[in-house]
Amino acid sequence: MSATGTPASAPGAAPVSGPGAAPTPGPAAPPAPGAAASPAPAPGAAFRYEPFPDIDMPLPARLGQFPRQPDIATDVARAVGGPLAAAFIRSQFRFEVVGTVPDVPRLALMPNHQSHLDALAVLSMLPARFRRRVTVLAARDYFFERPAPALLASVLWGAVAFDRRSRLSELRRWTRVLRDTPDGWFLVFPQGSRKTTALHAGLPLVLARSGWPVVPVALAGTAEAWPVGARVWRPFRRIRVTFGEPVEDAGTRDLLDVLAAFWAQHGRIDDTPEGRT
Amino acid sequence: MTLSIDADQPLLFYTVATALVLVGVSVFLAVVRVPGVWVPIRTWLVMLPIVLGALWIDELFFRQPVWTILVAAVSIMAFKEFARVTGLYRERLFVVVVYGAIIAEAIAAFLQRYDFFMAIPTWAVLILAFVPIVERRTEGMLQAYALSIVGVIFFGYFLAHLSYLAQSPEGLGYLLFVVLMTQLNDALGFIYGKTLGRHRWTPISPNKTLEGSILALVTTVILTFLQAPIAFPWVPPLGVLAAGLIVGIGGQVGDLTMANVKRNVGVKDFGHVLPGHGGLTDRVNSLMITAPAFAHFMGYLFGGFPT
Repeated sequence: MSATGTPASAPGAAPVSGPGAAPTPGPAAPPAPGAAASPAPAPGAAFRYEPFPDIDMPLPARLGQFPRQPDIATDVARAVGGPLAAAFIRSQFRFEVVGTVPDVPRLALMPNHQSHLDALAVLSMLPARFRRRVTVLAARDYFFERPAPALLASVLWGAVAFDRRSRLSELRRWTRVLRDTPDGWFLVFPQGSRKTTALHAGLPLVLARSGWPVVPVALAGTAEAWPVGARVWRPFRRIRVTFGEPVEDAGTRDLLDVLAAFWAQHGRIDDTPEGRT
Repeated sequence: MTLSIDADQPLLFYTVATALVLVGVSVFLAVVRVPGVWVPIRTWLVMLPIVLGALWIDELFFRQPVWTILVAAVSIMAFKEFARVTGLYRERLFVVVVYGAIIAEAIAAFLQRYDFFMAIPTWAVLILAFVPIVERRTEGMLQAYALSIVGVIFFGYFLAHLSYLAQSPEGLGYLLFVVLMTQLNDALGFIYGKTLGRHRWTPISPNKTLEGSILALVTTVILTFLQAPIAFPWVPPLGVLAAGLIVGIGGQVGDLTMANVKRNVGVKDFGHVLPGHGGLTDRVNSLMITAPAFAHFMGYLFGGFPT
């Protein structure tokens, strides 16, 4: 099951090359000694095996990796589960949207975080074609250590794992990953947890410095609709999602001030007394 | 639906025999404490009830597709492991055609349509030929085409013989024999090799030893003669000998075929779904050879494999 034509490519010696290296860029087959007489082998003439880089990973880690590896089953599950989850969330609460999101290839959405509903609330308020682009960064320690929550988070809101415990190495990894990521939308919670309000500068700044414009998003009402510690949500509450203006070139600590101010201004439901607009 | 169970019914015999072997091995291990074998045994304790349970459901509730669905699901998951390990999985269209072939073979087997069963691999290979044309690409296409054909033949066609055998009354004895004895032959080779093995005989799989392989083959042939009166009583002694040899040798060949894939690619196991065994492919690799070889050989000479 090995190559013919290129004498130099020993079967079985095919080195396993880097993680998920694109299959296409033909490695301009290194000139084989002795091949001078015969016509140069066409690129791709030799069999090169590139095993998926996540073969040794357990299922939760596999679901949480970014960039993702292609997987027909989870792709189908996401294509079905995402819209269903969004429709369900929309049916459960009275939503109100303020502002819009620009149609750009790169965007980082940064909402405040008070509830399990937050990610789905933002996603369900985006148009479907935008929603499909979004990757939600979710806590590895909470979502991606057991199969069931990993499946839920991955299928229903397209989450990938962010290791909030090993901060520096994880930030360095994401800096590298973002350098190799051409486009995409990310949904990041700079507060890192539903239970704290302190801002963690790391990931927002990594995203901003990697060239992702930041859209501040303020969620109001999710804390009441599903409070921290409650077992189930409380349906039919009002939830307001406010999208701010994109912040470009936010490579400084200003970004955190902008976010904090935006959330302070729009992150509470009771500052619009008359209820609906 | 018939609920009468005869004493010489192969399913009952093999269920009892399997249970006895498992209990015996478990008791033995609880007393002797051999390190490292408990994990694969525990996986067996999950796998065997699933395999036998599916066959019992089909047997008790006349001609249900449970076993066929189980075989098709295992085939698809095993092929996915193969495709991910070789990198073929990046070529989604090829993979989808192979999935389709596996499902089509399952349906043909369940309906006992031998003509479809034999024609579907042909059609799958023909349809695969369209993929590079549709995608308008050349690069890596020969490799993807070749790997996809391996997928159609080994994971679709060969493994589907397990579904086909289950559909006839005589085939059930064949099926139980080939499934359980192929696995036992694997296990015996492993155990003999670990305890008595000295001489390695193949660079493809350095864990295989001459002692393990030959002793497993001899034991398998002896056990075949012991169970032949229940599994396939109409087969003469020479046929029984051949059945034992097909399982004993074919199992090793299947194992080595997939070991060769792993060696070429540079991975140790196809996956991790079966603790102590590796991936599904690591478990069913022997059956890929023994099931079709056994089914066609016995069916041609002694019947019980309706065509």
